[in-house]
Amino acid sequence: MKHTKVWILVTVLLLAVCLAGWLLVLGGRAGSATAQIYQGGQLVRTIDLSQVEQPYSFSVDGPAGGNTIQVEQGRIRVSHAGCPDQVCVQQGWIANGVVPIVCLPNELVIQVGGDEAEGGLDGVSG
Amino acid sequence: MKSFSTRRLTYLAVLTAVALTIFVIEAQLPPLAPIPGIKLGLANVVTVYAVFALGPGQAGLVLLARILLGSLFAGGMTLFYSLAGGLCCYLVTLATWRLLGPRLVWACSMLGAMAHNVGQIAVAVAITRTPAVAAYLPILLVSGIVTGVFTGLCAQFLLSRLPRPGPPGRGGS
Ligand SMILES: [Zn+2]
Repeated sequence: MKHTKVWILVTVLLLAVCLAGWLLVLGGRAGSATAQIYQGGQLVRTIDLSQVEQPYSFSVDGPAGGNTIQVEQGRIRVSHAGCPDQVCVQQGWIANGVVPIVCLPNELVIQVGGDEAEGGLDGVSG
Repeated sequence: MKSFSTRRLTYLAVLTAVALTIFVIEAQLPPLAPIPGIKLGLANVVTVYAVFALGPGQAGLVLLARILLGSLFAGGMTLFYSLAGGLCCYLVTLATWRLLGPRLVWACSMLGAMAHNVGQIAVAVAITRTPAVAAYLPILLVSGIVTGVFTGLCAQFLLSRLPRPGPPGRGGS
């Protein structure tokens, strides 16, 4: 346990495992493009992004001024937000994959891909 | 609790100030994940240093002072994220510092940084009530390993160079 070489090996292994996990998450899956919008932990809206003909926007209320969500064919983003940090707006469009848009002040989460039952982390091998 | 000498108290205050400064500067860096409150955990370098230089008790004091003061500056949910990240890092450092010893401070720091990431993601999952937020864990762990090793090497260097303060309750006025 005290050998520096052992710990360098452990470090490299940990780094490799986490990098692999990161790549899997980034890869996501290109399957169904259904967006789920959660506010305060409740599913408030589900949109099949592949069926969107005309771009449109709608608002979701939240404790920090709410969010305006914009939808186009195959992708979704937060276009305006009342939150002080605007991190959700800066994240831009998401189309698929596992990484959700999160607006913590508004308790808003937008997730594209798998069903709720799959927990959003399933299917990364696909 | 033991009473501290003025010298020791000053030392702890300076460490807290250093940790606070790192914490505030870190808050200005662009976020790694779109979850406000989640940090690299650079201020944990002071925790690791303090555990090795001063022992668990005083390191804990410095950590709590930094978290409470830092949350005053930052506001919002910062307190929960800082508490979760800081305490996870602190506990892992406590569990490993005697085991690994002064030549492996960087390994302690790396494990502490990973614990910091896990703690913060756990809070994010709890606050957003969305398990999918855990998808950010791999990228945070990658950054945690890199920054943990780097800050750990810094702490290791400082530990070998800086003079230690005297034992608590004694020393100069
Ligand atoms: Zn936001």
